[in-house]
Amino acid sequence: MNESSSDVDTRDRMLLQRMAAGDRAALETLYRAYQGGLSRFLSRLTRRADLIEEIVNDCFWIAWRKADSFHGDSRVSTWIMGIAYRCGLKALRQRGDEPVDDYALREGHGPSHDPDEDRELRDWLGEGLKHLSADQRVVVELVYGVGNSLEEVAAIMQAPVGTVKARLFHARIKLRNVLPALAGDAPAQRENRS
Amino acid sequence: MTTQMNSGQDCARAWEIMPWALQATAAPGQREWLMHHLAQCEACSAEFAQQSRLRCALSLPTDVPVDAERGLKHLLERLDSPETEATPIRRWSSGNRLTRALAAAVVLQAIGIGALGVRLWSDQAPHYRTLSQPALLEPAGALRVVPANGMKLADWNRLLHDLGLRVVDGPNDAGAYAVVPAGSSSASALRKLRADRDIRLAEPVDNTP
Repeated sequence: MNESSSDVDTRDRMLLQRMAAGDRAALETLYRAYQGGLSRFLSRLTRRADLIEEIVNDCFWIAWRKADSFHGDSRVSTWIMGIAYRCGLKALRQRGDEPVDDYALREGHGPSHDPDEDRELRDWLGEGLKHLSADQRVVVELVYGVGNSLEEVAAIMQAPVGTVKARLFHARIKLRNVLPALAGDAPAQRENRS
Repeated sequence: MTTQMNSGQDCARAWEIMPWALQATAAPGQREWLMHHLAQCEACSAEFAQQSRLRCALSLPTDVPVDAERGLKHLLERLDSPETEATPIRRWSSGNRLTRALAAAVVLQAIGIGALGVRLWSDQAPHYRTLSQPALLEPAGALRVVPANGMKLADWNRLLHDLGLRVVDGPNDAGAYAVVPAGSSSASALRKLRADRDIRLAEPVDNTP
């Protein structure tokens, strides 16, 4: 954990303490701090904006009620991510939905102000993620997108570290084989190399 | 051969370190070793570049438009709503709506069955009695009467009519009927019954031990 994330965690713990005392301003601060990251994380499970908002709100509804039960065994961000992940799975299960399997659906849904470079990156990423299972997408998001350790991902997903490690390994293998090359390297050549 | 094996082992080690080097959480020695290896290995260098791009792409804000302020407003409304005291709401869940509708139907059925049961229990007893049911208690003033074996039915009916009596029970195993006077007093009816030659026994039910 670097200095910056330590500072963030200290801030979050203070906010949780205030939430436990019923301070709504602290809830609003924590919500605004995490809403973007949680939305991106949950977008690996579903592409529905209304559903993502509901899951984020479920997560903070629980965080509000359980703030006093946070004992500091993990970073606050890990705790919140874990709640969001479970809320996400529960929401999808209650709706009878499966996590999204077709990342190609996302094309054209990006904000219009998206720079071309970002759009190109998103398309490139979408091409790779659509080949991964939901669990693999979540692990990749948490490790590469959020910057969690294997142990933190295991805590969030409530899975053994070995399972997380295997998911990450297989996800990376798939991505290596399916992601378009950076400089015109044909997939067949990369297959041969691997 | 040894060089190839070492190279394979080095590439595997580089593969393991890459995510953590990108996170800047790898040990300084590991990162230094990785950079040295990447400078020598084209395949790992390309892989690391792809991993870097992956991290960059995953760090972009979500392309699913979710309005933070609107979501926060909904959350605060939800906290103020008394119906969310117990469990979170699932307004968007069509499957859940179906479940709630089915549950409501079951509850309504249960209420209906319960109401029907209460009504059945509270209804008055039927105006008939089966032979298996115990004998009803005779009303006050009832008389027990045993007609003679040879008494004709027409004479019995006439006697009952003349004395204003109505049969409410019987005959029992001993051939006794329970009768009640409709208008006249029990004592008067009892005296007249005892005076009739076709009546073997007439007595008030109340005096029966």
